[in-house]
Amino acid sequence: MAAEVPGTLVVAQSLDDVVSLDPAEGFELSSVQAFTSLYQRLVQSDPDRPGALRATLASDWKSGADGHSLVFTLRPGAVFSSGNALRPEDVVFSLQRAVRLNRSPAFILNELGWTAGNVDRFLVRIDDLHVGIRWPARVGSAFVLNVLSATVASIVDEQEVARHLVAGDAGNGWLHTHSAGSGPFRIRRYIPHEALVMDANPQAPLGAPLLKTVVIKNVADAASRRLLVEVGDADIARDLGPDQIAALRGKPDLQVLEYPSASLHYLLFNTANRANPVLGNPALWQAARWLIDYQGIAEQLLKRQYIVHQAFLAQGFPGALDTTPYHLDVAKARAILANAGIAPGTVIKLDVFNQPPFNEIAQSLQATFSQAGIRLQILPAVASEVYGKTRARTEEAVWLYWIPDYYDAHSTASAFAMNREDGTQSIAWRAGWHIPELSALTAAAVEEQDPAARAHLYEEIQTQVQRDSPFVIALQERAQLVMRNHVHGYRQGLTADMVYYDRVTR
Amino acid sequence: MGAAYGLRVLRRACDAVLTLVLTITGLLAVTFALSSLSPIDPAIRLVGDHASADSYQQARRDLGLDQSWPVQFERYVGHALHGDFGVSTSTGQRVRDDLEGVFPATVELATIAMLVSAAVGLGFGLVGAWRRGGLIDALIRLLSLAGNSVPIFWLGLLSLYLFYAHLHWAAGPGRLDDAFEYSIDRVTGFVLIDTWRSGVPGAFSNAIAHLALPVLVLTANTIGNIARMTRAALLGEIAQEYVIVARAKGAGEARVMLAHILPNAAGTVLTVFGLSYARLLEGAVLTETVFAWPGIGRYLTTALFAADTPAILGATLVIGVCFVVLNRCTDLLIRAVDPRIL
Repeated sequence: MAAEVPGTLVVAQSLDDVVSLDPAEGFELSSVQAFTSLYQRLVQSDPDRPGALRATLASDWKSGADGHSLVFTLRPGAVFSSGNALRPEDVVFSLQRAVRLNRSPAFILNELGWTAGNVDRFLVRIDDLHVGIRWPARVGSAFVLNVLSATVASIVDEQEVARHLVAGDAGNGWLHTHSAGSGPFRIRRYIPHEALVMDANPQAPLGAPLLKTVVIKNVADAASRRLLVEVGDADIARDLGPDQIAALRGKPDLQVLEYPSASLHYLLFNTANRANPVLGNPALWQAARWLIDYQGIAEQLLKRQYIVHQAFLAQGFPGALDTTPYHLDVAKARAILANAGIAPGTVIKLDVFNQPPFNEIAQSLQATFSQAGIRLQILPAVASEVYGKTRARTEEAVWLYWIPDYYDAHSTASAFAMNREDGTQSIAWRAGWHIPELSALTAAAVEEQDPAARAHLYEEIQTQVQRDSPFVIALQERAQLVMRNHVHGYRQGLTADMVYYDRVTR
Repeated sequence: MGAAYGLRVLRRACDAVLTLVLTITGLLAVTFALSSLSPIDPAIRLVGDHASADSYQQARRDLGLDQSWPVQFERYVGHALHGDFGVSTSTGQRVRDDLEGVFPATVELATIAMLVSAAVGLGFGLVGAWRRGGLIDALIRLLSLAGNSVPIFWLGLLSLYLFYAHLHWAAGPGRLDDAFEYSIDRVTGFVLIDTWRSGVPGAFSNAIAHLALPVLVLTANTIGNIARMTRAALLGEIAQEYVIVARAKGAGEARVMLAHILPNAAGTVLTVFGLSYARLLEGAVLTETVFAWPGIGRYLTTALFAADTPAILGATLVIGVCFVVLNRCTDLLIRAVDPRIL
């Protein structure tokens, strides 16, 4: 075992997915996990009260009478890790920058109707402590606050970034590997595919972290991650397989932590694919709901790394429907298919990612569907190829996962229950599902200001999708990680950005 | 005589340069074609599936994917000729900077593994040929076969499990312990040199401890090949007339083997050395993955999965140049040790 570095937490995980550590660009799991340590937003999810927002770089906010504006009071005395004081200009710069750069997470801010061409008009410095924002989209302020809690709305130190501009890149090149935020940590060194080393930011506005340093090591192989945490050279190991978790469970120095994750797995039938007319037959959608061995997949196949969940809002989201009306019932599925005249021997091509747990799930589906006479032809492929097909709507059926982009029901509802028919490639559009009434209901839900009424609307929308859609939502992930017993204070929430190292001690 | 010799040397030099240029051009063309035909969409890999159509199109433009293949290729080659391989989409860094980081890691690991493999493999080959058919020969053949046949991924994990996790004899994955890894400046990129230069107590020995297992795993695989080929080359010479003459003149077995047979088999042995070293320099993807060793093999593999064309082409180019240069060096060495080859 290697010598320990006092005050340093070592996390073993894969960092190969990181494209950029610029919050206006990074949208991969590992980057988003790091952003909460490096940057802060005006408001953020409260780690101790999931579902509630906590004033972070803003100390307060007030909704405008028009229902389309907010005024934020900045936290007095807040400074960035560089020592520069937080100014309204930083807020305006950061939000404008994210929209104008137009990288992958920009669409989250586009939900407010902000575009590269118009965003200037909607952000204004009021005085040294106040900043006003307005939005043209028909959405309520509760939704806007949730959008502003997304990592893409992180507030960046404009003066620090200005020192590293290259050819009008808005500091994007430098921010790939450096940080200019106010989070509890700042980047000491980032070596792509190797490690992210973060040092404590003693000036963090919500208090200095308890650790001196966090080292996130890229260990691509899960078996090696297991050995590192077992020996004690890593304090936390993420993304271990079910077998590795089972091997470490019960070891005296280790604990297995489980957190519900907002990641959902679902089956989609593409009704826009006319080559196979059975895909558009609602009887197939109904039968499919009875042809998945939900319990077997979650418990036996994936060894409790997933739970059965059959609504599009993950457990933990306000308004999430927790009913699970469907289970494996081949006889019922057969009867539904026979009544609809869907003949045994019907072949459906199923696209899946060529990686665990997708292959295993696909094989289970193939086995249970065949019992009702439906032959699933599995087409494994790399993720971007599968996504390419769904974007072009050339697939027949596909097993995918979904992660909300920000902590608001609309992020998921607009994907599953909204087909604007305007070129927006929502999941409903990809399934070729025409739902003007449901889309209108989803649009109404995002405008609703009253939280209870809003949650009620989402329950209604979820019920419809659960009952009558070409999607079968089946599983919700339960994130597992292994941690040494001497580590305390680690917190993790539903979405990828809710990874908190600031209260950790070891 | 002098003019003819000079002409021959010049022709050889021209041949070498021409081979290098043709190989690299062919390599680039094939790699570019393969990565263009790959079903992986680099733009989706970059922006993710949730991004708006607008962001997706912008990413395609930024990557130059809206241009025709010939234009993309011409642009890439043009930049490469100026030493600019572009920016990797999977690291966000200039490919040249990435390669300056990962290539020394591979060279260091490969060179040490090669030196150990060459010494042990040659020894095994010599002893095997000398004691052919005996128990030692059988044991060496068995070990060589096992080293060559055992899946390297399995061997890596097993050695980590045994020597690192259970016996605590060796260091774990990575190039250094965390106590040194992020505090020692990477001046050359070679961890042994950088730790030595740093003067930090314990850093150099820690680097050696981290090298031990990956070197062991790589050599287990390479030794087998070198030992088998060396033995076969030596046995191919053993019945030659000059060997019989040497023995008839009273030379001892060791002298016959080392002074007569080995020099005549040197061509084959050096070729095996050259090929083995080149193979190691390609980057041992599996070893680098298991031991979290940030080398060119893992860099290239990650780039392949991300359809990161600039990184793929840059890394392929480096590996290609290594292959050609090593082959040329091997040829020169063989000519130097074997006067029969002109």
